[in-house]
Amino acid sequence: MSDKKAIIKSENFCFYYGSKIGVKNISMEIYPKSVTAIIGPSGCGKSTFLRSINRINDLIANIKTKGVLLVKGHNVYDKNTNLVNLRQQVGMVFQKPNPFPKSIFDNVAYGPRLQGVKKRSYLQQIVEEKLKAAALWGEVKDELNKSALALSGGQQQRLCIARALATNPDILLMDEPCSALDPIATGKIEDLIDKLQTDYTIVIVTHNMQQAARVSERTAFFCLGELIEYDSTVKIFRNPAKKQTEDYVTGRFG
Amino acid sequence: MKNNNAQINKEPKTSSRSLALTALEDFNGFAIYHSGRFVLFAVSFNTVLIVLLIFYFVIQQGLPFFKNFDTIEFFTSKQWYPEADNPKFGALSIIFGSLYVTISALLLAVPAAILAAVFLSEIVSHKIRNYVKPVIELLAAIPSVAYGFFAVLVLAPFLQTHFGLSTGTNALNASLILSIMALPTIISVAEDSITAIGRDLREASYGLGATRFETIFKVVIPAAHSGIIAAIVLGMMRAIGETMVVWMASGNANQIPSPWWDLTQSVRTMTATIAGDMGETSKGSPHYQSLFAIGIVLLAMTFLLNIISEYFLASAGKNSRKK
Amino acid sequence: MRFFIRHITDKIFTILTVLSVIMLVAILAVILVPMLRKGLSAIVFNGTIEFRKMQLDLFSRGDIDELKNEDIRSRLYRNKIYETIESFKQNIDSETLSDKAGVIYRNFGKELQRKNIKGAEYQKLRSLSRELRDKLQAVFKSSDKKFIQENISDVLKFKNDIAFKDTSIDGLFVLAEDFASDIEHIDLSRRQQYAASLKELENIITKLLGPNPSLPVPALKMDRYGATRRDIAEKLLNRLLWLEQWQQDSPGKPMKRVITPRAELFAGTEIEPLFNYIRENLDEILVFKPAFYWQYFIDDSTPGHYFGGVWPEILGTVFLTLAAMIFVFPIGIISAAYLAQCQSDNLIIKIIRMAINTLAGVPSIVFGLFGLAFFVLYLMPLFGGPSKPCILTAALTLAVLTLPVMIRASEEAIRSVPQSYVEASLGLGAGKLTTFISVILPAAMPGILTGIILSVSRVAGETAPILFTGAIAFGPTPKSIFDPTRTLSYGSYDIAIGDKLAALVPHNQYGMVATLIMLVFCLNIAAIIMRAKISRKLKGH
Ligand SMILES: Nc1ncnc2c1ncn2[C@@H]1O[C@H](COP(=O)(O)OP(=O)(O)OP(=O)(O)O)[C@@H](O)[C@H]1O
Ligand SMILES: [Mg+2]
Repeated sequence: MSDKKAIIKSENFCFYYGSKIGVKNISMEIYPKSVTAIIGPSGCGKSTFLRSINRINDLIANIKTKGVLLVKGHNVYDKNTNLVNLRQQVGMVFQKPNPFPKSIFDNVAYGPRLQGVKKRSYLQQIVEEKLKAAALWGEVKDELNKSALALSGGQQQRLCIARALATNPDILLMDEPCSALDPIATGKIEDLIDKLQTDYTIVIVTHNMQQAARVSERTAFFCLGELIEYDSTVKIFRNPAKKQTEDYVTGRFG
Repeated sequence: MKNNNAQINKEPKTSSRSLALTALEDFNGFAIYHSGRFVLFAVSFNTVLIVLLIFYFVIQQGLPFFKNFDTIEFFTSKQWYPEADNPKFGALSIIFGSLYVTISALLLAVPAAILAAVFLSEIVSHKIRNYVKPVIELLAAIPSVAYGFFAVLVLAPFLQTHFGLSTGTNALNASLILSIMALPTIISVAEDSITAIGRDLREASYGLGATRFETIFKVVIPAAHSGIIAAIVLGMMRAIGETMVVWMASGNANQIPSPWWDLTQSVRTMTATIAGDMGETSKGSPHYQSLFAIGIVLLAMTFLLNIISEYFLASAGKNSRKK
Repeated sequence: MRFFIRHITDKIFTILTVLSVIMLVAILAVILVPMLRKGLSAIVFNGTIEFRKMQLDLFSRGDIDELKNEDIRSRLYRNKIYETIESFKQNIDSETLSDKAGVIYRNFGKELQRKNIKGAEYQKLRSLSRELRDKLQAVFKSSDKKFIQENISDVLKFKNDIAFKDTSIDGLFVLAEDFASDIEHIDLSRRQQYAASLKELENIITKLLGPNPSLPVPALKMDRYGATRRDIAEKLLNRLLWLEQWQQDSPGKPMKRVITPRAELFAGTEIEPLFNYIRENLDEILVFKPAFYWQYFIDDSTPGHYFGGVWPEILGTVFLTLAAMIFVFPIGIISAAYLAQCQSDNLIIKIIRMAINTLAGVPSIVFGLFGLAFFVLYLMPLFGGPSKPCILTAALTLAVLTLPVMIRASEEAIRSVPQSYVEASLGLGAGKLTTFISVILPAAMPGILTGIILSVSRVAGETAPILFTGAIAFGPTPKSIFDPTRTLSYGSYDIAIGDKLAALVPHNQYGMVATLIMLVFCLNIAAIIMRAKISRKLKGH
């Protein structure tokens, strides 16, 4: 595994909300075309780290970073980062489904349109392809002009995945994508993640231990803003090196 | 299907694009960001500009009056004969008239408004509240000229015939209508500040066995006093700046009622004087300037009230945020 | 005991709060109901034939043939009124009667000449006829019944005189006989009084029925038609039937109103039954028919809003509002976006916020002063325009006035757009501007629209700021934005106070203000409904 070249690499990365620490001294490598899970207790900085990767945290005032966070070899917190290109290559799916209050079609076409695609027939192709990739096509193919808000929560989340895929990213960040969904919808999303990992690098934050075990290849365990242990999923769940990790994955965590 | 895929794959993949900005992109981004920000700022700053212009132009037109005429007489004399050969500009009874109708309007409006605000925030269910709110909004929406119309053509004859007054357009009429117009403002601001008081205070009071009346008067209203004061000040601003109603309903007699509590006499207010006299003046004449001088007084008063209301609103906001 | 008192205070307090809210509703009803009800009567009312004539003449509206038939029928009833008055007038009007006698005498002289009667014969007839004439004229002037009867019988002695047979002097005898029979019921000593009362009566009848068709058409349009509606007709009928006088019992006491039947003034004369006649036949005389005058909203008015509608006022209000919105909309939205996007409470934002609050607190009349001093007297000449109040200056003044409303509403709307939309859009690689235009703005639109509607309703109702900056009470429809305009708001003021003539047509007074209120209310209710929808949508999420 480790012979592969890392697509995301952080070295002593620290993130501060004003004077408050979000994460500190994170050093880890994430490998392409695989699923990496981040687990840890609430408030430990999982979202903070994930949201640093495509710099969506920039929306918050008074943030500071230290250390390096490389995506494809480029330090994203460099001054001369092209944010548009970064965010197109690093797609994101949020905890709560957040489709735009537009039609299903317009939601998926939003990214391609930003990249200058205007031709309707071409847009239609992309929309169809991405909806199929997100396993939603069959359910919505007859009502692409319906408002996205009229879909169910699970459908909305898959629509958000399709929307993220439509910009052709290499990396897909998912912040607890299933926490707002019921078990059936969760199952569908997990299947989808499994399918997508052949083409995309996926980083997923989850509170669900089984989910992490099921979908991911490697797992990182965060606690209190620090990376405690990062190894193959099998190792983390069967034979963790640290006591803290073991307590957490076996549910004995305070 | 395969065709489609082939086509899409021909499109240059986004992943091939560099994550670093080229020099040109960097410069463009910089330029667009800062010029865009500047445009936004410039447009937004118009508001500040307008306020400055209002102050500048009203003062510029009115200032010569204070230079050429006796400022002390303006504030202390009751003689207002602007068009006489030897014009007299004593605005005392005009300024008094404004305060007179405003204060009597507030005396009428404040108790009713606070009761209504308590009703809306403490007593009634959400559902009834949703029916009462539009009533208040509609009261606020009626144009002032329509209130004035009502005052002159409906209320004035009523007062005249049923109370045997010599004229129906008087301070009482103007105060009644002004109080109605001030109600929506006072109610909504007071209600907001009462609602902002946290549940814990109330529960503590009820827990000690207090009745609703005691809880509201001994706990809730004292806690919400800043907001309520702000509400009253805002209502006062609305009343003192109102033009059409007082112009149409107050009778426009340049006098201080005697005895002073006799609301059934006609009075004249600052706003009505400006509205009524401006048409008869020529630009730059002393009379014209004197009206702008009244405008300066009016502007100063409302500005002061505005600062007071903002102070109390700010402290009300702080109080409720503490919780 | 103490507990009981506490309990009672609590109950009383609760009842008081409930009463205060009931009072609010009652106030709203007391203010609105009379204005809207009377305003509605400008459109739905019982119209008379005079109304239909006026509509045909001034607005070429209505069925000509039917109107003609109605007119013929109503003339039948009206003629009796005119004839009765005419004949009564003759009897009390000694001068007219004397003139008539004089004319007959002169005609008789000419007739004699034509018949070639000359010499002594001529002299004799001539002097006899002169004698008769003088006697009659004395009779007409006299108020002594005995003297009159003697003289008339003297005159009538000559009626069968052979010399007068089939000559025009007959007219004198007819005149004498008529007079004799007429004065039986007339108190001749009151002739002067009759004349004055009759004049008043005729005035009222002219107002009720329109001018006497035998007289030339009056110059003023408002004088050309009688009562156009049942309520006015009934008011006039009341004035016709009852005489209202203010009397003072003794000096120093307040005047008292005394009402007596006007018929008493004409007791015993042929006019007396006329009052009942008009009352009983009012329907036939004025031909009432229900009218639905929706054209009130699209008709111009005659001076004083005597006839016609409020179209120019509506048009002016709409123009003014639109023009103001063109200025305030972009500035409002851009400022709101700026304020909503700047999280940091830096000094500039604080200053802008303070300016908005100050602006919101400036009295509307001061906006009028500012508009006059800045837009009319300073800015217009600066750009080479005429330094006079016009739509443009009024619209600018109103725009300044409503800017705070617009900014506050839009900022709230923009702030209420969920942050997740912004994150999603940025996460897809969109820039801030794209995100604002294609995600935030559409999502905030309902809220912004609510703000716009509220500003529009505010602008449409404001009067004080446009008093000196572009509103007029009369005048032609504006041709460009450099002309002043009539508006519903200023019109409502003018029709209530400025225009004394309008007091004669209360339905038009109330119609104007009701139109304004309805316009503002429709806008506000739209805003209320819209806001309810938005909040339901946000809650459902
Ligand atoms: N916008 C913010 N401003 C200030 N502090 C923040 C902000 N967002 C998060 N934090 C703080 O940073 C720390 C890490 O938060 P983060 O959201 O990354 O946790 P998390 O691991 O994702 O938790 P959860 O599992 O509950 O989502 C927390 O202590 C939190 O309070
Ligand atoms: Mg999180």
